[in-house]
Amino acid sequence: MIEHKKVIINVSNVNQSFEVGDERLRVLKDVTFMFKEKTFNIIYGQSGSGKSTLLNVIAGLQKPSTGNVLFLGRSVYDLTPDQLAHLRANEIGMVYQQNFWVKSLNVIENVSMPLFFSGCSRHISRQVALESLEKVGMADYADKYPTMMSGGEQQRVAMARALVNNPRFIIADEPTGNLDSTNGDMIMSLLQQCKNDFGQTIVLVTHNMEYIPLADHLLNIKDGAVVETTDDTNITKIADSLISDMKHRIDHLSKAKNHARTK
Amino acid sequence: MQEQNNNFPIKSPRENCVFKSIRYSVLLHFALKNFVDKKLRSFLTVFGVVIGVSAVFFLLSFGLGVQSLVTQQVIGDKSLKAVDVNSPNSKIIKLNETAVNLIKTYPHVDQVGVQYSFPGIMNFNGGEIDVVAYGFDTAYQSLSSLTVINGRLLEAKDSDSILLNMSALRSVGIEDSKVAVNQTLKITVPLEKVEAKSTSVVKTFRIVGVVESGSGSEVFMPSNVFDLAGVPTYNNLKVVVDNTLNVSSVRAQIESMGLQTTSLADTMDEINNIFKFLNLVLIGFGSIGMIVAVLGMFNTLTISLIERTKEIGLMMALGARRRDMKKLFILDATIISFFGAVAGIILAIITGKIVNLYINMGASARGVTEPFDLFMVPLWAVLAITLATILIGLLVVYYPARRAGKINPIDALRRE
Repeated sequence: MIEHKKVIINVSNVNQSFEVGDERLRVLKDVTFMFKEKTFNIIYGQSGSGKSTLLNVIAGLQKPSTGNVLFLGRSVYDLTPDQLAHLRANEIGMVYQQNFWVKSLNVIENVSMPLFFSGCSRHISRQVALESLEKVGMADYADKYPTMMSGGEQQRVAMARALVNNPRFIIADEPTGNLDSTNGDMIMSLLQQCKNDFGQTIVLVTHNMEYIPLADHLLNIKDGAVVETTDDTNITKIADSLISDMKHRIDHLSKAKNHARTK
Repeated sequence: MQEQNNNFPIKSPRENCVFKSIRYSVLLHFALKNFVDKKLRSFLTVFGVVIGVSAVFFLLSFGLGVQSLVTQQVIGDKSLKAVDVNSPNSKIIKLNETAVNLIKTYPHVDQVGVQYSFPGIMNFNGGEIDVVAYGFDTAYQSLSSLTVINGRLLEAKDSDSILLNMSALRSVGIEDSKVAVNQTLKITVPLEKVEAKSTSVVKTFRIVGVVESGSGSEVFMPSNVFDLAGVPTYNNLKVVVDNTLNVSSVRAQIESMGLQTTSLADTMDEINNIFKFLNLVLIGFGSIGMIVAVLGMFNTLTISLIERTKEIGLMMALGARRRDMKKLFILDATIISFFGAVAGIILAIITGKIVNLYINMGASARGVTEPFDLFMVPLWAVLAITLATILIGLLVVYYPARRAGKINPIDALRRE
């Protein structure tokens, strides 16, 4: 079945390097993969491994040093800046770990932002944004200000904003990073719902290993290079081994604690 | 294969949207909300602009008011379209009928009035006094701004009517101008010095009016008295031009005949030149306040830029174009300068009214009967100052707006 799905994002031979002083830092090394429609893709890896850079490259925010990114067959970095802005407003929804708001605007206006940038009037935007807020159970907060809400509430509103323009593609950069497990799970089930019910393609960057089993497609990024896993059985294996790694780490740390106590 | 997103309850809004990018009304809403959100800062910034604008406007309106008062005093209701013509050397360059007819043919010349003037003797009320005897036609008379105290001015059909001024009346012992009207008097004007047909004019006239003019004794009679006596040259002409803009070209033509011209426009030009300079000095003083206001505005916009770097990055990540962000800043600045200009002008007008009221009260206490306006608020000044303030705002915002357009969303949204 998977073979018949349309390719949304095609990343081929992407290299990204930055000049830091005299040194040349290679952040992404010959990265090649594709995201198909209606899939749940998870990128994981250690801090500094190049995850965020990869996300920026996919989102059309950072032109890679070499290589190509195709969005539905169109080369993203050959688009004009205006076309790129239009693409971001219409096709991509974004959720961040730490949420950003235009502080002088209320919840519904913040959620409407992608609609505004595609030229919708305030009247139409309000209707559509309200529907989106209902989706995440936050319609009552429409006229409040985002900075007055809790982290979990903010993240749900951020989800509403990411969904408001009915994008094909949702990028979530550690959306649960600052949340407790209840709120984190809620965001995850929303993302799953987006994929299962609305056929959207999800790209999630996460540190939370418990979410790994949700993936249809797993990208492990290590020092800028990507290792792909697509097979469900293998994904389960990886999840198991990551979780047992975690158990080992806990054991190791508690031994150190007991050692210090007996001393 | 299933159609993408067909289950999603949110219908794509894109088909409802005519424009491809953000509407100005929405951007304006953003800018206004930001303006209101930072109440104290916005207020202080606008207040700075208000002070600057009101200083400039107050002084400008004062300058214009005084200019108009002075002009009124000097020019009064005299016509600026009139040019006075005389001959610097009446023996060589003759101001005769030929010359008048030639001037009449010049383009833009509407009318030519003529005047004779001679020393003469008046016999009236038993007295004999020396007077200056003027002979003019009605065209000349209408441009001379004579004020009638009693009776009337000369009319075209008059031939033995005469006007007297108060000074001539007093010389013969009459104080009440009413008494003089309709009485008769005799005028003798010797004409030996001008090569006229008659050697003198001796004629009895009936007084039709008493006028206010000069300090010496003067009488005014119709010009045809001297025409009939065969006086070959006029002493003065008044040439009326169709439009004040054509005064200088007509003067140049007349002067090319070797004649001398003077015009109230000269005086007017001098007054205007002085006030042009004075107004500039006044605006210069006011501008000191404006400069401080501009610095404050620049400061506010720059701080706002720094504070909102993340917001701008966010908006760009959500689909804003670079020029939308520039426009947002330009709108911010326009809002500040527009409100500043409007409030500043209102403040200046109110202050002017109050100051004017006090000065008028002081003046009337010292015996000035007519109220006057020291401050002038012409519409062009209101529009010019508003536009200039907005323009200054646009200049000030140039640098912050350019920086706003250059913000890189990745840098702006980077986690701390």
